[in-house]
Amino acid sequence: MLDDQARWVAKAKTGDTLAFRRLVEMNTSALFRTCVRVTGDKAIAEDAMQEAFFNAFRHLSDFDERAQFSTWLHRIAVNAALEQMRRRHRVEEALPEVENEDTFFSVTTESAPGPDRHANSAQIRRDVEAQLSRMTVLERSAFVLRHHEGQSLEDISALLSLNISACKQAIFRAVRKLRLALEPPG
Amino acid sequence: MNPIDPITDDELILFRYRDGLDAARLADIERELSNSPALRERNAAIERTLARVDAQPVPQADADLGARLWKRLEPRLAQAGVAARRASWSDRLHSLIESMRPQRLAWSAAFALVAAVGIGFYAGRQSAPPPDATANADAMALRVLDAYVAAHLRATEGVLVTASNSGSGALLDGNRELAASLVESNRLYALAAARAGNARLADFLRQLEPVLMSLANQSDGGAVQSSEGLRDYLHATDLLFQVRATEARLDRSGDRRT
Repeated sequence: MLDDQARWVAKAKTGDTLAFRRLVEMNTSALFRTCVRVTGDKAIAEDAMQEAFFNAFRHLSDFDERAQFSTWLHRIAVNAALEQMRRRHRVEEALPEVENEDTFFSVTTESAPGPDRHANSAQIRRDVEAQLSRMTVLERSAFVLRHHEGQSLEDISALLSLNISACKQAIFRAVRKLRLALEPPG
Repeated sequence: MNPIDPITDDELILFRYRDGLDAARLADIERELSNSPALRERNAAIERTLARVDAQPVPQADADLGARLWKRLEPRLAQAGVAARRASWSDRLHSLIESMRPQRLAWSAAFALVAAVGIGFYAGRQSAPPPDATANADAMALRVLDAYVAAHLRATEGVLVTASNSGSGALLDGNRELAASLVESNRLYALAAARAGNARLADFLRQLEPVLMSLANQSDGGAVQSSEGLRDYLHATDLLFQVRATEARLDRSGDRRT
């Protein structure tokens, strides 16, 4: 599959749009997952993918073929997703001040679900979605990139233009919010 | 054994990803996890949360997404491709013009000769004959010039069309020679048009010169790619259309003067 991608990349680099179409087809599902997770919205994710593929095509000559095309493309897609959110004024200018864990829980426990609400998986899904929507875009992006995409803190920091410490805090806050949704307070 | 700093939940999150902690702290946490049931329980809570996140339905693209994306992408990619090729053609023309600068000095001598002949012709004509004869001679000179330039543009049109449409090496070889032969006459016609006061035609012919020079110097390698680039360039600049329009205009004005 990866060798196959490399072959199509080489062809697409010569301006072969049919080869590029193959690359679009091969990466659509994975890119969609990432973009939806980052934006939390399927329509915005689709716009982000559109821009990501277009930018990838335009900068294909810059792609170093020693790297994996899908990794390179995902990086472009995350940037495109963040750009779409910025355009819609959904990205915060800066991360909120770091709160300590105790403060965080004391503030948000009121909205935390009780054990009865976790009775079924549909309710859990709704709780997770509610908490995900309460995350800032940076928290969600940092978490998605670390947890789902397996990127290193260093790479995520570079991608999100954060320092490592801010990047860690974004992930911590994301996990805390998810714990609130998924773990009934004891 | 030295007592270790208390382990926070945040550190357990980093431990889960084996990222953002140094090796010594990772070892501390690992050791503490095997010794402390309370820490194991805190760690298990984090693991449960993340496992539940993993158990969430994965966002699924609908079946039409790929086709929908491509439908919107294709025209943009085509446009981007044309722009890139157009840039490469413009670059080639520009570099060619730059590389020809020293030769321009040599050609300027030829231009000076043409100018001297032209000035002598006009000066001689203006000294003696009556006004009617001068007017007739002017009209005749312009008609001759128009006819020659129209024929030149027909040949140029043929060269452009062949270069942009033909993949045949033999045909392109002949075309290169023809383009080379047209370069010099193009320059002379441009000069003659300027002398005759037809600045528009002179400018247009000057605009053709780098294209003809580029075709005359077209390499064998990448002929197909060059043809594609030329097609895009011609399409983007409407050059072929302008050649044909100028040619037709000259034919018409020649007819009117007859």
